[in-house]
Amino acid sequence: MYSLADIIYRRMTETFGASDFLEPLFTIVSYLLPCIAILGIVSLISGALTLLERKISADIQNRIGPNRVGPFGIFQFIVDGVKLLLKEDIIPDAADKKLFRLAPYIVFSSTVLAVIVIPFGGPFIVADLNIGLLFIVVVSSLVVVGFMMSGWASNNKWALLGGIRSAAQIISYEIPVALSLLTVALITGTFSMQEIVKQQGLYPWQWFILHNPFTFIAFFIYFVSSLAEINRLPFDFPEAESELVSGYNTEYSGMRFGFFFVAEFANIFVSAALAAAVFLGGGNIGIDPYNSPLGYKLLMALVFFAKALSLCLVTIWVRWTLPRLRIDHMMSLCWKYFIPISVFCLVLTAAWLVAFKGNSVFWRIAG
Amino acid sequence: MKAAAQYFKNIWDAVSTTAAGMRITMKYWLFEPSITVEYPDRLGKGIKAEDLAADRYRGFLGLNLSKCIGCLQCMRVCPIECIKITTERLENVRFITRFDIDQSKCMYCGLCVEACPASALVFTKRFEGACYDINELCIRHIKEAVKAAAPKSKAEGQNSENRTGRINEY
Ligand code: SF4
Ligand code: SF4
Repeated sequence: MYSLADIIYRRMTETFGASDFLEPLFTIVSYLLPCIAILGIVSLISGALTLLERKISADIQNRIGPNRVGPFGIFQFIVDGVKLLLKEDIIPDAADKKLFRLAPYIVFSSTVLAVIVIPFGGPFIVADLNIGLLFIVVVSSLVVVGFMMSGWASNNKWALLGGIRSAAQIISYEIPVALSLLTVALITGTFSMQEIVKQQGLYPWQWFILHNPFTFIAFFIYFVSSLAEINRLPFDFPEAESELVSGYNTEYSGMRFGFFFVAEFANIFVSAALAAAVFLGGGNIGIDPYNSPLGYKLLMALVFFAKALSLCLVTIWVRWTLPRLRIDHMMSLCWKYFIPISVFCLVLTAAWLVAFKGNSVFWRIAG
Repeated sequence: MKAAAQYFKNIWDAVSTTAAGMRITMKYWLFEPSITVEYPDRLGKGIKAEDLAADRYRGFLGLNLSKCIGCLQCMRVCPIECIKITTERLENVRFITRFDIDQSKCMYCGLCVEACPASALVFTKRFEGACYDINELCIRHIKEAVKAAAPKSKAEGQNSENRTGRINEY
């Protein structure tokens, strides 16, 4: 297993010499460096996504969108961030202060934890855990804890309702997400993200979305349920403006709100990146990701980002198209439609693998 | 059986209606130009704020001094008395010595415009009245006394070219 951490670790032992004394230091540094880099990249991406969202929503509504800060308003998100930093940080008197302070960091860190096992194409992955896919599923449901915490600690009925809704919603939609990801795990026989990407190829017919008809359905189930998991319209019940003011983050201001905000947009990227890596071939261009020139490695990262970004665009596009569902519809959509269908996909993919000896629909072309 | 058919119909409905909606927003996203007017600083070359107002817009009142006969009709008809006119007669010639319209009081009802027999008082398209002192909005149309135009019946055939004079907006 190769990952950025492994590569840095090996570099360090090569330059400084391996020693038992320095070993813990090497390990910490080799994991810390990529983590910090990822933190920066994720914040940057979520900033860019806020701008993209505003631009696209403007385009869809025949408006212009932010265009004053920098050319085409591209620095708008930096200004927004600075504005959030300068805002007064208010903690309500009746709030549970400790939980109130803690909640945004839990939400944010659970998002960033998920990014650790996202393969950015080539060797660019912080840690290639052999339970990578499970890790994402587990860690991303940690968000609920943060949402519940913030809702409860705010001592505000809207925030509490938002928190409870998010718990109900995210936990229900966890199931179709996990089941539809499992269809791919069935094919690959591994949870390691790098391995999953490696088993796909450059061409669409080598991707797992076109492996068989059931993975095709599973992709859409994953995508829609992930919209629910990241609280995007049409499933944004935890923060439904017209009903709950702003939901679980009603009482938050300043940088604490900023953390929720960044986490929300980072979540869009994470779910899109996961879909791109698991179903759409990730950064695989049919070349060995480890022993190739740097240019190819960067090309792989580019391919990955292109796929992930186009899925982000679809997420935004859906948001500005569909109105919010009714909450009982949301629940029946999950329990009556997505869960049965994803179970059905899982079982039939298993049957397909047995019947066709693990080959895909396009196995003749794919070779 | 019926329930099962309904189940699959529901799925189909969800997919097809979503697709229809997405197609519409895609059309707006990619093909429809934005209709935003970037008032006030990016109107485009040669476009003034006044050009944005619709025809027959009720902006500030404008006065065509070469037409005004000083009949005081507008002053009398104004329900809130925001027009103040004084006239003086000097050797059988009527002079208008003061013509103030307080735009800060005016409710743009248009009664004065309708009443004016000489069509001297009109609405212009000017609408940007922001200023630091509300008194600046009391617009003095006359700086020094001007001769009132002759009433129509007397003026016929005499100075008809005067009737197309410039509208004094201030
Ligand atoms: S528009 Fe109405 S309120 Fe304004 S000056 Fe004329 S009559 Fe008076
Ligand atoms: S503006 Fe019209 S109504 Fe008013 S005094 Fe002049 S002619 Fe008479």
